[in-house]
Amino acid sequence: MTTSRSAKRRPFVRGLACAILAAGATLLGLTPTVASAAPTVTLEFWNTYNTTDKEASTMQNVVLKRFEQLNPGVRVTSVVVPYSQLLQKYIAAVAAGDPPAVLRSDIIWVPQLAQEGALMNLTHLKWFQPIKAASLPGPLSTNYYKGSYYGVPDDTNTQVLFWNKSLFAAAGLEPPKTLSQLWVDAQKLTNKSKGVYGLGIDGTDIWNVGPYVWSGGGSFTNKSYTSAAGFVNGVDTEDVLLQMLNLNAAGDIGTDFRGGAGAVSGETGFAKGEYAMYIDGPWAVPTYREEHFSDYGMEVMPKGPGGSISVVGGEDLVLANNVPNKADAIKLLQFLASPFAQLQMANQGDLAGYAPDIAAEVKAQPYLKVFTQQLLTAEARPVSPGYTKFDTIFSNALQEAVAGKVSLAAAMQTVAAEGTAALQGS
Amino acid sequence: MATGMLVQHPAEAPPGVAARRSRRGHKAGVAATPYLLLIPAIVMYGVFVVYPVYRQFEISFFNWHIFPGASNPFVGFSNYSQIFHDPVVRTAAFNSFLYIVVTVPAQMALGLFAAAVLTDRLPGGMLWRAAVYIPVVTSWVVVSFIFAYIFSSQGGVANAVVGFFVGHRVSIPWTAEKWTGDLVVWLIGIWKGIGWSFIIFLAALDGVPRQLLESARIDGAGEPRVWRHVVLPAIRPAIMFVTVLLVIGGAQVFTQIYLVTRGGPYNSTQALMPYMYQQAFANFAFGYASALASLLAVVLFGLSWAEIRLMRQQEL
Repeated sequence: MTTSRSAKRRPFVRGLACAILAAGATLLGLTPTVASAAPTVTLEFWNTYNTTDKEASTMQNVVLKRFEQLNPGVRVTSVVVPYSQLLQKYIAAVAAGDPPAVLRSDIIWVPQLAQEGALMNLTHLKWFQPIKAASLPGPLSTNYYKGSYYGVPDDTNTQVLFWNKSLFAAAGLEPPKTLSQLWVDAQKLTNKSKGVYGLGIDGTDIWNVGPYVWSGGGSFTNKSYTSAAGFVNGVDTEDVLLQMLNLNAAGDIGTDFRGGAGAVSGETGFAKGEYAMYIDGPWAVPTYREEHFSDYGMEVMPKGPGGSISVVGGEDLVLANNVPNKADAIKLLQFLASPFAQLQMANQGDLAGYAPDIAAEVKAQPYLKVFTQQLLTAEARPVSPGYTKFDTIFSNALQEAVAGKVSLAAAMQTVAAEGTAALQGS
Repeated sequence: MATGMLVQHPAEAPPGVAARRSRRGHKAGVAATPYLLLIPAIVMYGVFVVYPVYRQFEISFFNWHIFPGASNPFVGFSNYSQIFHDPVVRTAAFNSFLYIVVTVPAQMALGLFAAAVLTDRLPGGMLWRAAVYIPVVTSWVVVSFIFAYIFSSQGGVANAVVGFFVGHRVSIPWTAEKWTGDLVVWLIGIWKGIGWSFIIFLAALDGVPRQLLESARIDGAGEPRVWRHVVLPAIRPAIMFVTVLLVIGGAQVFTQIYLVTRGGPYNSTQALMPYMYQQAFANFAFGYASALASLLAVVLFGLSWAEIRLMRQQEL
């Protein structure tokens, strides 16, 4: 009886052993694969593309699909992460040794990540040289930190003045050509009973305030981004900021200036006719197309004592030092910087960071011309690992002045001291 | 029949000794069983709680760089001393304290009230109970965005209500002012927290002996006296439990500040947890953020201990 029981058990035991071995082999990746069937490598491309228009879908369905066709056996997923979470998510992934193949990083994060040793130094790599040669100098410089390059440009952008045609016509105004005219027009265009603000400014940070400050002849730091003293608290800077404070106190600037999640952003408020003017980047145009809103015009920043100066924005493509599937990740980065990918994304409002591609993009999307024109005089935000901290200090100090807690001069004095310390890494 | 089972092995002990051994082995097995069953939980607790807490404490003594291969200089207590010189920490600690003071009593009072009112005898009792509990299971993120929408600076339900009473359009920047921003943050915390204390109090009230209530009423005690002298003492353990956990939760307020006021304006609505997060993930100051976390843990431990002690003293 014992013998017969064992005999009965044997097939079951054998089956169980086979199942365990098969599961183990699968876990270890030992199962034989058919070359032409499933892809052998899966890469992730992390970005913040807009999912409400066609930006994110174009990347996945057009650009990455083409890459997969050209690279059989490699599959790429575009992972869209909200902007506010991307840096934190990337830090955690790199620290855990599992970064995405490529990150589309905000240009302001690159020096910070490079300083921490998270990014691959591309300076002396052979494949980097042609990309570097084709790059526009401004976008390329955002990848530079302490004598080395840690990324390649993806897209570059800047902000221009958007103005509502109906509201300007109703007030009998033309779009302002000078900064002083802009301040006056903001007052004339405000209609409190209808909930219309003359001007929308999306916050007190440098991205939003910078174009007005630079055009007004002011600045935030010295040229080497090591000191704010005498710049952020300079007369010209404070003059512009004071104009903003006065307009805000009079109710001519929208509530977006004060911040908070309840604020109506420039992009949203402008399309609803709540803001007569505001500044925004090229991505707003495809969004407005989707919303069938076309009652607006775009102009370069009105000229002030400093000229018509806006802010350089954009994204860079970076690789982590410990990126898995390094060769494929590099291939992906090269492809994303190629003319094909750049032109596809330019159709969605992402202006290329490469000189040879700009003309083709403007031909395909004529509205980009005003942005390329503005880029000629646009200023970069301080290229420093301490920029994020500096920007927070500046933004908080200006908010305090807006709330009337401290005088503008005292607020900027604080930024000059604390901001300089942040820029110098303390 | 398995014949092998009947064969006595020459080396085996006599049957009496074997039986004693077997009983002893059985006793040892029974005694060891709880410990063996605890092993998975202990391992999980060690890996996911004790080790991270230890690492966080260790990191607080370094200028820590999170990325692999970076050098991490030892800085001793300098991260801790920096905390006492950081004005934002003072504001954040005050705001966290204020959040506890405002929201904990409100959640408890409203939760207890709901538990007392929404009894089985109420028509549609289950429906009402579910309605009170639903906010607990909704996402903090979703709720935060809904409140941001209600308290929108331009338009928005809150502005419409105020506008109705004052007779003209108003644009109050609710989430961009210190006190209105705090108000929105508190409201979210209270609204989402009532259901949790409600469910605990509901269970506790169910356990109050009926005969005690009835005899108090027969003796002529009115409802306020019944509550004061019978119900509240009877549910004291539940009150202690809810208070301690709500205080700990209140000190860890994060999501609604991070999403609704973003700590602004000028850090005036900042609280300890979002500030800690900002230090770690925006400024990459992981050592400093860890020091803040360690200090908060010590304060919370002390606070919880004091609360429990105080309540036990009152009980005696």
